[in-house]
Amino acid sequence: MNQIVDRSRDIGEFVPQPDDDMLVCRCEEVTKGEIRKAVHDGMWTITEIRRYLRTGMGLCQGQTCARLVKGIVARELGISPAQLEPATARSPMRPIEMKVLGKEEVSDTWQ
Amino acid sequence: MKRYEVIIVGAGPSGLSAAIEAAKRGIKTIVFDENEKPGGQLFKQIHKFFGSKKHHAKIRGFKIGEELLKEADEAGVEVVLNATVIGLYADKEVVVRRGDEVSHYKGDTVIVATGAAENMVTFPGWTLPGVIGAGAAQTMMNLHGIKPGKKILMLGSGNVGLVVSFQLLQAGCEVAALVDAAPKIGGYGVHASKVARTGVPFYLSHTITKAHGEDHVTGVTISKVDEHFSPIEGTEKYFDVDTICMAVGLSPMSQLLKMSGCQMEDNPKKGGQVPITDEYGETSVPGLFAAGDVSGIEEASSAMIEGRMAGVCVAEYLGYCTEEEKEQILAELKEDLESLRQGMFAPANRGKEITETEEGIAVSKNLLQHGFLTEKEVEKYPGVVHKVGVHPVMECTQNIPCNPCQDACPRGCITIGENITYLPIVADGSKCSGCGMCVASCSGQAIFLVDEDCGDGSATVTVPYEFFPIPEEGSKGFGLSRNGEKLCEATVVSVKSVAAYDHTNLLTMRVPKEYAMAARFFKAG
Amino acid sequence: MAVKNKADVIIVGAGIIGCAVAYYLTKKGKSVIVLEASDNIGNGGSSRNGGGVRQSGRDPRELPLAMYGIEKLWPGLSDELGVDCEYHKEGNLRLGKTEKHLEILQGLTERAKACGLDVRMIDAKEVKQINPHLSDEVIGASWCPTDGHANPMVTTLAFYRKARMQGARFITGEPVKRLRKVKGRLREVLTESGDVYEGDFVLVAAGYASRKILGTVGVDVPMHVELMECLVTEAEPPMFNQMLGTAEADFYGHQSDHGSFVFGGSSGLELNNKDEGAKNSPGNAAITAPCICRGIMKYFPELADAKIVRTWAGYIDICQDGVPVLGFVDDIPGLVVACAFSGHGFGIAPAVGEQLAMLITEGKTSVDISGLRYGRFQAKI
Repeated sequence: MNQIVDRSRDIGEFVPQPDDDMLVCRCEEVTKGEIRKAVHDGMWTITEIRRYLRTGMGLCQGQTCARLVKGIVARELGISPAQLEPATARSPMRPIEMKVLGKEEVSDTWQ
Repeated sequence: MKRYEVIIVGAGPSGLSAAIEAAKRGIKTIVFDENEKPGGQLFKQIHKFFGSKKHHAKIRGFKIGEELLKEADEAGVEVVLNATVIGLYADKEVVVRRGDEVSHYKGDTVIVATGAAENMVTFPGWTLPGVIGAGAAQTMMNLHGIKPGKKILMLGSGNVGLVVSFQLLQAGCEVAALVDAAPKIGGYGVHASKVARTGVPFYLSHTITKAHGEDHVTGVTISKVDEHFSPIEGTEKYFDVDTICMAVGLSPMSQLLKMSGCQMEDNPKKGGQVPITDEYGETSVPGLFAAGDVSGIEEASSAMIEGRMAGVCVAEYLGYCTEEEKEQILAELKEDLESLRQGMFAPANRGKEITETEEGIAVSKNLLQHGFLTEKEVEKYPGVVHKVGVHPVMECTQNIPCNPCQDACPRGCITIGENITYLPIVADGSKCSGCGMCVASCSGQAIFLVDEDCGDGSATVTVPYEFFPIPEEGSKGFGLSRNGEKLCEATVVSVKSVAAYDHTNLLTMRVPKEYAMAARFFKAG
Repeated sequence: MAVKNKADVIIVGAGIIGCAVAYYLTKKGKSVIVLEASDNIGNGGSSRNGGGVRQSGRDPRELPLAMYGIEKLWPGLSDELGVDCEYHKEGNLRLGKTEKHLEILQGLTERAKACGLDVRMIDAKEVKQINPHLSDEVIGASWCPTDGHANPMVTTLAFYRKARMQGARFITGEPVKRLRKVKGRLREVLTESGDVYEGDFVLVAAGYASRKILGTVGVDVPMHVELMECLVTEAEPPMFNQMLGTAEADFYGHQSDHGSFVFGGSSGLELNNKDEGAKNSPGNAAITAPCICRGIMKYFPELADAKIVRTWAGYIDICQDGVPVLGFVDDIPGLVVACAFSGHGFGIAPAVGEQLAMLITEGKTSVDISGLRYGRFQAKI
C-alpha cells in the first residue's frame, strides 16, 4: 500500500552545509548539496531524486550510493531511511554490450 | 530456452549448500555465478570459523569452500562460472550472460543466493584512490596476493573490520588504527583482542572527518563524535596512511528478487532491502527462494544452513522427497540455525545493551572500548585459573556459540556445559599435558598455555602465532601486553607447528614470572 | 463525510499533463490540488517515454497542438521552469530501409505538409550528411528540421517543481476511488483512503487509470494499454542530436545531453505481454530488450559496443483512434478530460497544459482541439 504524502509539508529552508560539494554518486558525479537541494525542490522519493539528478543511474546502478542517498534524503525530510522505498531494480544487473544482449542463444525448445 | 528443475543464482556458501541438497535427491541442478571462481566469499576467509563441529568450527573458511565444492561435485551439481544472471523475469525466467551472448533459462524453481555488497560511508576525500572496502582488501590479499597498502586505517569494528585488520597485519601491512563511530566494538571481543595485542590502537566514538591527498590517500584525520555522531571540534587526530579500509556493513544484493516482483521489505535488522520469506526462504512467488545474505546479513555458517533449507524445500516442491522427510530435515536444520543464532551477538540481541554474561559476570568495558581485557578483569572469567604447572588460560569472556576447545583437549580438561554459548571452564582435577590442541583449536585465539612459575623466576606462555617470519627458537624479543605494549624481555622457547594445529603455530616464550598473566604476544627484538 | 480539501481545480494524476496544467493554472493564480496514486510524481508514461518532441508523423487532429508547442512553448521552457529540460530542436529523421518503408514515409509526409509542417523526404546521401553514423542500409528518410527531443523525466519534474513553488498542492500515494457530482456539477473527488477533495473543476489525467475513474460518472474513453519498453546505454561521446524513428517502428530514440542513448522499441508481443513487475513499476519481458538492440544495430553498427545499463517498461494508453481525448465533457459540467495520449503525449504536454488551463479559466482554447473532443467516437456503420 502506498503512503499518503502531502508534498506541501514544511520541511524548512535549505541550509548550506560545509560538505555540500562532496560527491555521493560517483558514477554520475552528484554531490550531497545537489541531493539536498533536490529534496527542497520537491523530490521526496528515491525514484524522483534519480530521475531528477541521475543518482544511481550510472554504471554501478546505485550499488554504492543507494544507501547513502537514502540517508541524505531521509535526514532532509526528517524521516527514517526505512520509510523511503528503494529504487526499482532493473535488468541488466551488470552493464552489457548491445551486441551481446542482442545475441540470444538460439534454441528451438521455446517453453 | 532450456528448462531446469532448479536454477541457483550464486555459487557462494548458501548457493552451493542449496545445490547439494537438491542434487543429492536426484534433481538436475544448475548454479550460475558471475565470478571466475566458485565459493563466494569463503575463499577469502583464511581464519578459522566459530561454532560447533557441525558448523565447521575451527576450520578455515577456504577449507570449508573446498569441502563444499567437493560435495557439490559428488552430488552432480553443474556449476557454471563467468555466467552473469542479468535478469529474473516473470515465470522464473533467468537470463544469463556467458561470453558474448545471452541465454534464456526457465526454472521450475529458482533459488537466489547472490549474497551482499559492501556499504560505504562518506567523508571529504572518500572518493580518493586508496579508500577501499574491507572485502576488497581481503580479495587483494587473500586471492591475489597483493598488499592493499603499506599503512592502513580501518573504519569499522564489526567482525569484518576486526578480521580483516588481523589479516592485513598477517600480510605485512601496518594497521595504524581501528576506528568506529559507535561507542563500543561491534564484533567479537576475541577478534578485537588478537588485533589489540599486536599494538593496534582502537578509537571508538571516532569517525573519519577527512581523507587527505591529491590523487591518492596520503593521510586521514579522525575526530571524536558526540552522542549524535557529530564530530567534536578540537578532537582531530591525524594519521599518516596510504589506505583507508571501510568495514561499515553489508547490504543484501536483492535486486534480482525485487525485479522478479516478489514482495520486499526494508529491514534495517537484516541489512537493507530483503524479500519477505517464510522461515525457510520461500518468497511470495511460489517456487522462488532466497538463501544466505541476500535474505538478511548473517554469517557464512548460517548462510550454509539457509541454503540447505531452501534446497530441501525445492526437493519437496518438485516431488523428490516427501513432506515428512522435508519436515524432519528442516527441523534439524532449524535447530542448527537456532544454535548459531544464540549468545550475545544473536540477531535478536542487535542494538541491545548487554552488560552481563549468561554466567552473571560483568562484561569487560575495556574490551568493548579498547579491544583488550585488563589484568584485573581477566581474573573474573571461569576459563582463567591459576594452577601449578602448565595449564590452559582461556580468555573467552563473551557468550558466543562456539565449542571446539571442549573437544580439542584429549584429557577432558575443558568443558563448555550444556549450552554452546557458555564460557569454557577448566574441569576440576584435570591434568594438562601441554599438547596445545586447545590453543590451536580456538578460532578466537583466546587460549594460552601458561606455566606461571617454572621455579627459576621465569614463566612460560604459549601463544597462538600466525605471522611470518616465524621466530626461531632461542631468539630474543619482547613480551607484549594485551594492548601490545612492551612489557618485558622474552625468549622463544619453542615454536611448534604440527598438522593438527592447521597452520596456527604455538609459540612458547619465557618471561619473568611476574608477567605470566600479562604477556600475551611476542615481538621479535 | 466532511470536505477536507478545497481548491479551484482538483487534478487527478501527477504525470506531465497533470503537472503542466497545475503549473499553468497556478501561474494564473488559481488554487490547485493534484492527487497521485503512486508514490512518485510522473510515474507513468511521463518518465518512461523516449523523449520525442515531434510534429512529423502526427495525426492532423493533434498536429496543431504539437506545432504550437514547438513554436511557442518548448524553446523557452527551461528558462521558464528554472530547470534544464535538455530540449533540442535539431530535427527528426524517420528512417527507411526498403521501398515499402519509403512509401509509408511519403504518405506521412504528404499529410503533414498539408497541415503546413516543414517536412520532406530526403535521399540516402542527405541522410548521411545529417547523420553520418547511420548504416548503408538506410536508403531514405523523412526529415522534419523543427522536431527534436527533451528529457521527459526532468521536464515532468520541472513542471511539478515550479507548480509546487507556485502553491499547487501535490498529494502522492492517494489513489482516487470515485468522482462525485454535487447538484448537477462534478465537484468532488473521493479517494481510497476516505479523503474528499472539492473543486470547481476536476481534471482527470491519469493515463489508463482514467478509464476506471471516469467510469464512476458514466464517462468512457475507448482505449487499451500496451506495455512498451525502453533501454539506456552508458554515456558515450556526443554523436548526434536528432530525434530518430523508423518506418518499420523497430526503435526510436536519441542521444541525451548526458551522453547516454535512450531508445524505445518493442518485440511485437506488446499487446499481450505479462506484467509481474514490482510495486509502482511494471515489469520487463525477457525478450524485448535484445530485440530492440538488434533493431538499433541495424541502423547504428558503431553502437554495438555501447553498454546497456538499464531497461524499463511503461504502459501507453492507446486510444481507439490513436489520438488523445481532451477537453470538457458536454454533459458533465466541471469535468475536464486529458487521457489516451496513445504513446505520444510527451511532446505536446506543455501545449496541452497551457491550453487546458486556458480552457478551465476562460472557457476556450487558442489552439483548435475540437478534433480531440470526448464525443467523437461512433460505430462504424
